[in-house]
Amino acid sequence: MISGLVQLFLWQGLGELLSKFFLPGIPGPVLGLLLLLTFLCVRKQVDSDLAMVADSFRQHLGLLFVPASVGVLLFLPELQTHALAVSTALIVSVILTIAVTALVLKVLWYFSLKRNKGHRHE
Amino acid sequence: MNKRIPISEIWVYLSGDPLFALIITLATYQLGYLLYVRAKRNPLVNPVAISVILTCLAIHLLEMPYEKYFEGAQFVHFLLGTATVALAVPIYNGFKRMQGKIFHIWVALTAGSTVSIVSAVAIAKLMGASDNIVGSMYAKSVTAPIAMGIAERLNVSPTLTAVFTVITGMLGAILAPYILNSVKVHQWWIRGTAIGVGAHGLGITRAFSVNEEAGVFASMAMGLNGVISAIGLPIVLTYLRPHLGF
Repeated sequence: MISGLVQLFLWQGLGELLSKFFLPGIPGPVLGLLLLLTFLCVRKQVDSDLAMVADSFRQHLGLLFVPASVGVLLFLPELQTHALAVSTALIVSVILTIAVTALVLKVLWYFSLKRNKGHRHE
Repeated sequence: MNKRIPISEIWVYLSGDPLFALIITLATYQLGYLLYVRAKRNPLVNPVAISVILTCLAIHLLEMPYEKYFEGAQFVHFLLGTATVALAVPIYNGFKRMQGKIFHIWVALTAGSTVSIVSAVAIAKLMGASDNIVGSMYAKSVTAPIAMGIAERLNVSPTLTAVFTVITGMLGAILAPYILNSVKVHQWWIRGTAIGVGAHGLGITRAFSVNEEAGVFASMAMGLNGVISAIGLPIVLTYLRPHLGF
């Protein structure tokens, strides 16, 4: 488990440095993610220790944003005033996001299947 | 000899220690997670929401200021960055199964996250929400650790962004099956990808419990969507913001 954590911290550190000195517009952890992804693509395998740590992080990702979310206490009056706007925006947006992503993918896939079939007939 | 220590003194000592905030945070999450598992992973019983509500109640009753709580809880908060890096693993695992679909997924993710941002921001603004709220709608469709990183860079509240993200995840996980059935999409990999973009971590857990392929694609989509938005949003907004007026 420790070796998995160490690897993640190292990539994160590298990402932070890169963000600080070369690409200030992109958060360090995102650069760390891209570096690790490149590394995995080159090595063509994920070692079991890293896989285990990454999996537990993914499973309990929610825990990590509890401290920030508790800050909602400071915004309660503001949220109450705009409750209707907030809930409408969130609900409509979720429905549209899922529907649009699925439909775009479905249509694109349909056309590329059709085209492949066409090629095979020629 | 055995001098009695008044209880208030013990309390002063305990509440000044960072350990206390950590205990509340982890214990409430653990409780929420137990309930979630017991409720057969029903998205309505969201462990994060339970933990946030109970923690809010606890520090409100104890009259502990948020800053004080955060001093202790920051150790958990810090791991967000590390968790973001760890998303590389599910993205990589998804890549292996994406052969021949990369272009399609890329286009769909971009379309999906654009629609998500534009619709949320536009509705909130048209309905007269405050700038703070409208600003925090930008990053809410990205998985929370990345969303908060983006929020900091856009100078909007990471807290509101995190809260909106959690609510989005809950709504997405609850509504996804109905939405996907009503647009008649039945391939598991397409359903998974859409859930990953729209419903984050909670959606992924649900996708995994229904179908393994859907889960893998959902994890991959969530991570990739985060990366695309983290790079794209600040660039797009630098140009658009002056015209939008906030």
